[in-house]
Amino acid sequence: MFEEALIRRGQCHVLGDNIPLDEGIMPFSFAINRITDPVQLIPHLFCGVDPTLAEKIKEGDFILAGKNFASGKAHMQGFIAMASLGLSVLCETMPYKAHRGAIAKGVAILTGCVNLSSFAQDGDDIEVNFLDGIIQNHTQSTRMQAPALSPILSKLVRVGGLQSALKLHIELHPEMKLPRLESQA
Amino acid sequence: MRRAQTSVQKMLAHASGLQSVQVGEIVYPTPQWVILHDGYVEIAHKELSEMGYARVAHPERVMFVTDHEVAYSTQRALLRGQTIRKVAKDWQVGAFFDAGRAGHGHLHPMEMGLIKPGMFLFAYDMHATNFGAVGALAIPVSSEITSVLATGSVWVKVPSTIRVNLKGQWREGSHPRDLGFLLAQGLSKSTWGVAGDYRLIEFAGEALNTMPLSSKVALCNSITEIGVASVLFPPHDAPYDCLSDQEAEFEAVLDFDLSSIEPQLALPGGPDLASPVTKALGTPVQHAFIGACGSGMYEDFVDAAALLKGHQIHSGVRMFVVPGTVETQKRLANDGVLQLFMDAGAMVLPPGCGPCAGGMMAPLGSGETSISTAATNHSGRFGPKDSLAYLGSPLTVVASAIRGEITDPRSLEMAHV
Repeated sequence: MFEEALIRRGQCHVLGDNIPLDEGIMPFSFAINRITDPVQLIPHLFCGVDPTLAEKIKEGDFILAGKNFASGKAHMQGFIAMASLGLSVLCETMPYKAHRGAIAKGVAILTGCVNLSSFAQDGDDIEVNFLDGIIQNHTQSTRMQAPALSPILSKLVRVGGLQSALKLHIELHPEMKLPRLESQA
Repeated sequence: MRRAQTSVQKMLAHASGLQSVQVGEIVYPTPQWVILHDGYVEIAHKELSEMGYARVAHPERVMFVTDHEVAYSTQRALLRGQTIRKVAKDWQVGAFFDAGRAGHGHLHPMEMGLIKPGMFLFAYDMHATNFGAVGALAIPVSSEITSVLATGSVWVKVPSTIRVNLKGQWREGSHPRDLGFLLAQGLSKSTWGVAGDYRLIEFAGEALNTMPLSSKVALCNSITEIGVASVLFPPHDAPYDCLSDQEAEFEAVLDFDLSSIEPQLALPGGPDLASPVTKALGTPVQHAFIGACGSGMYEDFVDAAALLKGHQIHSGVRMFVVPGTVETQKRLANDGVLQLFMDAGAMVLPPGCGPCAGGMMAPLGSGETSISTAATNHSGRFGPKDSLAYLGSPLTVVASAIRGEITDPRSLEMAHV
């Protein structure tokens, strides 16, 4: 039920460097108001970069960014929306906390992808194998190699993020549903 | 031949049951402690209960500390305290330090010898990096602590290391927090060509030989907010070899001479907004406190008291003293240091975070200005958004509280307490 393939194909949206989480990926007002409902968040995705982008993005698309993607305070609203749409991210670098937060929400991400803006254009049809890092551009018939998603992170993304992983864990370890007896101490 | 490793590589390898690890590798280390403070126990318990968890994976490794809201100032806090007591019992956690029993959870576990060189631990709160002062590796994981509670671990990426070599001695009026603010600024702005983001900051050098634990804590603490992975002082006397190899690969090596460090402030907005104290001299302050996890140890108060002796706190300043731990408070009381603060007009608050935990105790008022040794000074940290919070060393804070305005501690004569 949690399986999400890590070989994905879709259209890409090419963004630049330094896209901040607040006001770039998602208006800060959603973070400060602690709104976590993806239905409310999705129409505002990337509106700070391009107000028309949310309308163009389809489920399963790719966001291609440069350096320092998702910078600033690690507010997770943007990643909640991206996870709900099944978007994937390729970028050159992103701050650690943002990377960690995105993985926790189940967003598939490859970092260390250089020169993406010359590799693909908006609307190109690309295919990414997160497990070996091979990225193919079917529109331009080119391919590039990026560092693969580690097996541990692949597993987390595949099950849909940290919350799903914990739900899965308790199904595999039903004893965790029972209080610990004093004698077990 | 075995590749040379840094301390953090050796410690994460050891905790993960591996011979060695590479920078960037993802591992699942097993912690010796899992530490949560009173601000998150209830939330973690609710989250796990809703998923059906009635127990945690290794309760004997779990430690609850109480420092954020110690002397309950609301009914909500009182009820939270009751919940925490029940959760500690239900989960059978290995160590529970209730309100008033120990003090600041980033300090007392070191004082009690529960945190030792070479240990690896997970914590909810980012300032657990303090434990690097004794050579323990603490990785803060924020809300992902629920994963550690449920499964015993959570993924960790092996960070690269920036080594910071220290030599020389402080000049009068300067203090480790001053260097901490400068380091936070430089690493945040990549002044030295390297960023602090998820780097392990490892201190080294001859200056460490004479450095008390309080100074190491101040250094660990001051650079945490910029997003470092953790901070480490060399883990001598660990039960296994976890000192950085001589040939280990550091991402950068920075050198500082302590005698060149001038008193600094962190301007309102963040601990990385360092500025020489001389740039803001004369700014009126109405609120001041010494304490919190970066400056709550015995020496911090004794050093400040040496400046305070023979003076009074300015009539326009509410000055608070927050000993980090119950043990520190007792020692300061026994040695007459608390008496000196009280005689000068300062108020003593119970051991813990003090105003730094969101201003739940002794807050800052609208339009007021504070100077303190808090861990951070983001907008609204301990008061309304239109209040201003400067950070300084214990020396700069007490000097400013005496004059009622931001003051260079070098302009006051130090007594011997």
